[in-house]
Amino acid sequence: MRAAALGSGAVVVLGWPWAAPRYFVFLASLIAINAIVAIGLNLLTGYTNQLSFGHAGFLAIGAYAAALLTIQAPLVPLPATLLAAGLVTAAMGLALGVPCLRLEGLYLAMATLAFGFVVVEAILNLDWLTRGNDGLRVPAARIGPWALTTDTSRYYVVVTVAALLILAARNITRTRTGRALLAVRESEIAAQASGVHLAAYKTLAFVVSAFYTGVAGGLFALVVGFLSPDSFDVFLSVDFVAMIIVGGLGSILGSVMGAAVITTLNDSLAGFQSYRPLVFGAILIVSMLFMPGGIASALQKIQPRQGDRA
Amino acid sequence: MSGLATGSIYALMALSLVIIYNATRTLNFAQGEMLMISTFVGWTALQLLRAPLLVALLVAVVAAALLAWVLERTIIRHAISATHFDVLIITLGLSLMLRSAAGLLWTHDEFPFPSFFGSRPLGVGAVRVAPASLGIIGASLALMLALGALFRWTRLGRAMRAVAQNQRAARLMGISVEQVYSASWILAAAVGAVAGVLIAPVVFLSSQMGLVAINGFTAAVLGGFGSMPGAVVGGMVLGVLENLAPLYLPASIKHSVPFLVMITILIVRPGGLFGRVAPRKV
Repeated sequence: MRAAALGSGAVVVLGWPWAAPRYFVFLASLIAINAIVAIGLNLLTGYTNQLSFGHAGFLAIGAYAAALLTIQAPLVPLPATLLAAGLVTAAMGLALGVPCLRLEGLYLAMATLAFGFVVVEAILNLDWLTRGNDGLRVPAARIGPWALTTDTSRYYVVVTVAALLILAARNITRTRTGRALLAVRESEIAAQASGVHLAAYKTLAFVVSAFYTGVAGGLFALVVGFLSPDSFDVFLSVDFVAMIIVGGLGSILGSVMGAAVITTLNDSLAGFQSYRPLVFGAILIVSMLFMPGGIASALQKIQPRQGDRA
Repeated sequence: MSGLATGSIYALMALSLVIIYNATRTLNFAQGEMLMISTFVGWTALQLLRAPLLVALLVAVVAAALLAWVLERTIIRHAISATHFDVLIITLGLSLMLRSAAGLLWTHDEFPFPSFFGSRPLGVGAVRVAPASLGIIGASLALMLALGALFRWTRLGRAMRAVAQNQRAARLMGISVEQVYSASWILAAAVGAVAGVLIAPVVFLSSQMGLVAINGFTAAVLGGFGSMPGAVVGGMVLGVLENLAPLYLPASIKHSVPFLVMITILIVRPGGLFGRVAPRKV
């Protein structure tokens, strides 16, 4: 049953570019990128209860790092570029995460919100490097002899990276580290009493989360091909939070589903810009009040009943 | 001096955030949007009824109280025992919805708003001061004193403080937690409406006006979240810093000032200038 679901899922994901129109291939790439961010954010928020409204800032750092590296050193292979984007962002995550250890709850939310604003202002002010408001055009990346010029080729790169990162996240959450993170979420004091090094694990969550978001940023630069500071505003951070709320806090599968729902919704509401926040606000409130565990836990509730029938 | 006037705006905003925080220990992300909506309602009264400004202020306050009551009863009440995290997300959703609704009703344009105070600068000794600055400063000080008295000496104020300290114990003492929640939302919204009418002439009336809440939060954090005098002083300090920073640093830094201040204060002294970090109990 599980294997069949996984197998058919893989067939759909791999066959998608051959069945769907070009635009939907691009959209699927965006969903995969947002899923990576959502997983990263979930590792931080869902697993250690540290709410962040600054992930658009991390995404921007990863995206600009990858774009600048591609421009300055076109010969660097794509995996190395993505890794570099992830590492640069992880370093920023460390720099922000260590002082933020002292904060919790809404203080942390506001500090990360402020971080997001500062990143956008920094991009605007460092215009000799980032070209500020004019935006930065990203040249096509290369893997060895192939230039990634089509949506389909970029889609496969994004899906491969996303699959790797999903596997990695599953492994993190199933090991000792994952259990330690969950213990931190349930009760910091109890976790500490059981020998979990609080500061180390909370910082680790910050760094890993930033790494994921940075890699996603690199992929974003690759897929979209054009970066400007206004694509990384605070509302994007809110979208990321909405993804993990709708999908389910503390669930990897939920992150992916939340990313799919919110990205698709975002795209279908593109023609109704003035109604978009109205819908998003309503979704946040409704899922918080009536579906606190998100789609993931709603599915879990349904699953046993199916098992009974079988 | 204009720094102090801007600061008073932040102080009023911070005050209304602190009222809800003090009673319910949650942050209302939609505070700025509630302020914006009530100011818009007051402005509509001005336009449609040709009402005097004082009436518009009253309309705005009543509208704010009504809006707060409805929101509290229909949405927040269901999350009364939820975690702060949940309430934070819910108010975030509210703020998105309210801003969008205001945009649909009144468009996203900017509108001029009449002021209580004349525009001719007054001379105080050698210093020339805009009356609006003095008015805003005076009004926020008066409001702060009134609120301080309310929290200290009235039955409602005591009930609010009790609920903040320990919800269950307060309930056992016969305090209706629900009523305290309603009251604090209404009170905060009313203060917000006054702030909105005072600052609308300065920043223009628009659906984006609610973003001033972020600076209000910075002010509250700067003064020590939960402390009312702290909120006022924090607002003033922030306003002055924002006006002075461009003199010594690149001019483009002005917009980042509140955020830089917020990150700095949270890192260096999370309890704020006046607050204390409460020890955690198990």
